[in-house]
Amino acid sequence: MRRAVWIAMLCIGGAPLAAGAAGPAAYGADPAASHLDFTGVQAGAAFKGTFHKFTAAIDFAPDALATAKFDVQIDLNSLDTMDKDRDKTMRGPDIFDVARFPTAHYVAKTFTKTATGYSATGALTLRGVTKDVPIEFRFVPGSAGAQLDGTAQLKRLDFGVGQGDWKSTEWIADVVKVSFSLSLKPRA
Amino acid sequence: MPISNPLTRYTPVAQLLHWVIAALIVTQFALAWTADDLPLGLHKLVLLARHKSIGMTVLMLAVIRVVWRFTNRPPDLPPDMTRIERLLARATHIAFYVLLFAMPLTGWMMSSAKNYSVSWFGLFTWPNLIGQNEASFAFLKSTHDYLSDVLLAIAILHILAALKHHFWNRDDVLIRMLPFRKSPRGP
Repeated sequence: MRRAVWIAMLCIGGAPLAAGAAGPAAYGADPAASHLDFTGVQAGAAFKGTFHKFTAAIDFAPDALATAKFDVQIDLNSLDTMDKDRDKTMRGPDIFDVARFPTAHYVAKTFTKTATGYSATGALTLRGVTKDVPIEFRFVPGSAGAQLDGTAQLKRLDFGVGQGDWKSTEWIADVVKVSFSLSLKPRA
Repeated sequence: MPISNPLTRYTPVAQLLHWVIAALIVTQFALAWTADDLPLGLHKLVLLARHKSIGMTVLMLAVIRVVWRFTNRPPDLPPDMTRIERLLARATHIAFYVLLFAMPLTGWMMSSAKNYSVSWFGLFTWPNLIGQNEASFAFLKSTHDYLSDVLLAIAILHILAALKHHFWNRDDVLIRMLPFRKSPRGP
């Protein structure tokens, strides 16, 4: 009888602890120390741009991939390619059309371990089109959070990014490389 | 029997460099003037991409041309030219050589300052010469524009001078740069 009570007490008391250990930790990206960049190819030459404003809700633990989740919202108006003319064109109706589609949204729920880190497949909603985009990343836990660095590749025309003349892949490459470096802090 | 006398004609290599660079510069003006009138868009981007590729070609040819100029003596100027005429001809030629470098280099720096790296016909990308900076871009653009006006002015002077030598003085100044005339005129 006393043994049964002990077991029951252990089960009740241990359940939340076990759940806490197996579930992912909830992080947010520190805006000051995080970057979300892209590299396009224009007339044969690569150019780099960045999105200054984005939020990332990262639920992740290496031992709880099944319940991990990334939810990233990108303010497309915050794009910066270090040239005002190009930025203005890219915000315009033929490229991102930020007046109609101010944000891009990325949600990943499928994660797998790879040789060098992790990969995930998530749904990117951009310019009103939702399509799967895989990402590769490394996750390094730190004392007060974690560091998340990774890359992705997407085809801009899959999302209609480039209308009219801008559909030309001869002068503007279809493939755009994305890279991110997120300094993760515990989410409130 | 030699087709040309090295003392009275430019070498075939010098002639080739002269005419190829001249044709490329005419193309550069056509591309730049067409692009200037266009709104920001793909068509303008394409014209400027070609302008940059050709400009970098001129820069590479300019290097070869200067090396050739210093290792192959050009024919002497006609003996009946006055001191002022010789001085003017020499100043124009030096200005051409300076501009053959200054035009592509200011253009290349302009592109770097605007964070548009220069590709060479899509085959490879030249490194950026300077960092992105709006003020540098504005200064370099006005310099590039101003130098293009100077280039146009001395090119007109150069052409008029060549025609004057040919039709007025009736000497071989123009002929010695032409590849197809077999024998230069006598004095």
